[in-house]
Amino acid sequence: MKVNKLELTVGGFVLLGLAALLVLSLKIADSQFSGDGPSYTLYARFDNIGGLKPRSPVKVGGVVVGRVEKIELDSDDFAPVVTLKMFERYGYFPETSSASILTAGLLGEQYIGLNPGFIMEDIESLEAGATIEDTKSALVLEELIGKVLFSLTEK
Amino acid sequence: MADYLGEKVLAFSVFSAEKGSFALSDLTRKNKLWLWFCPRNGVTLIEVQQLSFHRGEKAIFSDLNLSIPKGKITAIMGPSGIGKTTLLKLIGGQLQPSAGQILFDGQDVHQLSRANLYKLRKRLGMLFQSGALFSDLNVFENVAFPLREHCQLPESVLRNLVLMKLHAVGLRGAAELMPNDLSGGMARRVALARAIALEPEVVLYDEPFVGQDPISMGVLVKLIATLGKSLNLTSVIVSHDVDEVMSIADHVFLIDQHRVLASGTVQQIRDSEDPRVQQFLQGLADGPVAFHYPAEDYLSALGGEQ
Amino acid sequence: MIQAISQLGASCLANIAALGRASMMLAQALWFIPTRKLLRDIVRQLYVVGVLSLPIILVSGLFIGMVIAFQGYSILVDFGAETSLGPMVALSLLRELGPVVTALLFAGRAGSALTAEIGLMKTTEQLSSMEMMAVDPLRRVIAPRFWAGVIAMPLLASMFNLVGIWGGFLVGVEWLGVDDGSFWSIMGASIEFGQDIGNGLIKSVVFALAVTWVALFNGYDARPSARGISQATTRSVVYASLLVLGLDFILTALMFGS
Repeated sequence: MKVNKLELTVGGFVLLGLAALLVLSLKIADSQFSGDGPSYTLYARFDNIGGLKPRSPVKVGGVVVGRVEKIELDSDDFAPVVTLKMFERYGYFPETSSASILTAGLLGEQYIGLNPGFIMEDIESLEAGATIEDTKSALVLEELIGKVLFSLTEK
Repeated sequence: MADYLGEKVLAFSVFSAEKGSFALSDLTRKNKLWLWFCPRNGVTLIEVQQLSFHRGEKAIFSDLNLSIPKGKITAIMGPSGIGKTTLLKLIGGQLQPSAGQILFDGQDVHQLSRANLYKLRKRLGMLFQSGALFSDLNVFENVAFPLREHCQLPESVLRNLVLMKLHAVGLRGAAELMPNDLSGGMARRVALARAIALEPEVVLYDEPFVGQDPISMGVLVKLIATLGKSLNLTSVIVSHDVDEVMSIADHVFLIDQHRVLASGTVQQIRDSEDPRVQQFLQGLADGPVAFHYPAEDYLSALGGEQ
Repeated sequence: MIQAISQLGASCLANIAALGRASMMLAQALWFIPTRKLLRDIVRQLYVVGVLSLPIILVSGLFIGMVIAFQGYSILVDFGAETSLGPMVALSLLRELGPVVTALLFAGRAGSALTAEIGLMKTTEQLSSMEMMAVDPLRRVIAPRFWAGVIAMPLLASMFNLVGIWGGFLVGVEWLGVDDGSFWSIMGASIEFGQDIGNGLIKSVVFALAVTWVALFNGYDARPSARGISQATTRSVVYASLLVLGLDFILTALMFGS
């Protein structure tokens, strides 16, 4: 069968376009398909989550170990509950770990900093579905300024 | 219909291929075989009844009546701008009349469903004034176009058919040229070959002689006459080239003022005593049809300037 | 005054009628069972509208990516956030500039050519003669060009995006010295498939429909004269561009508004 030059060019064009799309999806927007591997779910309650958003990272010492999956409000005590998707490849963290909402740089995005507790014999690890008890809320600038002003007027 | 057409074309091409060459007499004989189930010559094929057509406010036709006999060359003549091309487009169902009807072989063209209208158009060939060749296809592909669209023919048969059509108009040697390389007369001949590619019953010619040099004019006149006779075509020629048309037409309609002014055989038209007919035939500058487009009084118009 | 109002009304009516004609044209052109012939014609038209538009799309993509990187860097560096250059370049391309600029270039490059081609075919009675040969020009001429436009545009936009991101990388990393690793990793972390790539694709499909439709209709509806074709070509590019920008606003509001 004779290969039609025009059809060949057009075929190449379509392939090139699809390849571009594939590269965009896989390489540029990584994670989605390349995947984070298997994961488990943890919950954390905060008083205030500040500017935390779904897909914000969860970091241990700067290493991304999970992502915020969703943020809900507990209807009983009106506290925000954050669902975390933790990557299994980093293993499970001890029960005494604490989570705090931190900001990358002065104006950067907010993330959850996980501070692993000591690993000891009688301390269990956070299994899938467990809730992190020890949390520190986000720093809200207005509250901070309010506190400073208050302490100044005290003197 | 499509199948029938395909078979007909196929049978015809095999027939001619055996002969090894294309001859118009072959065509005649072959086509005569088909005549038995067609109405006899001279029977009206296209009937225009009380046709009115308006473009915007302007009336192009009002109460126009024509009957075009089968197997004859019918000429429709008249001065420029009276809507002769419009009439052909009405016959082809491309335009809708504001009143009246056009019967093609008993069917009202404008009441047909889309599918039936397209079926009917396969029985029509039309030669456009400009030729209307597809400018990015070469001559061969132009003529092959209707065949490729409507018949599933093997490439070799298609080639033979196209070359035969081109041979019939004397342009077999120009098969590889592009339409841009053709002279006006050649383009019109190619368009003619394309118009007869599907072996239609009727060919509509829109001003076939306009802007042709005497030689190509003569060629076209001869082609229309011989093709008409040999393919037993019903030809409808719309034109204002009196002498050429009168030399080949069997029947003439003269149209003016939105309706038929005179009709009859060539001789009857020539003998007409209507001054308007005579003005048109002899090309007099002034007569019943005034030289001046209707306008306000000349003197007052000039005076009004100041 | 009355005259002005009646003129306005008349032009409104004319525009509505044109929209009606355009819709009827599209409906007639697309409402039939696809044939193999149509597929072959689509391939041929893909060459004309797709492959031939490739150079201008790629070159523009490269330059636009490079310019965003320059501008973005000079703004971000003030906040010490130049590592966010990656997501900035990628997001502006994927969400906005890729689909929009591709559509505008496509309207200028391919749309105007389509309008002129079809207008000329109409003027020289090629469409009319096709109709008399019992071939529907809407199906034979309009339909393959329409599908080719709709297929080509998202592909072109994807290539535009990729080349643009590469251009941003060249300027940001190779030239201005943003850290290679953070450029890619922060970009990767901040782009979401559905939100950014998917919405960008939807945009470019919508723009493709709009631009091709406008181009084909203006050609098909052109007054059959040299002047008519030139006006139709101009109108095609102007209307298509305005339509793209307007639609972009609506789509952006719908996609990223909440």
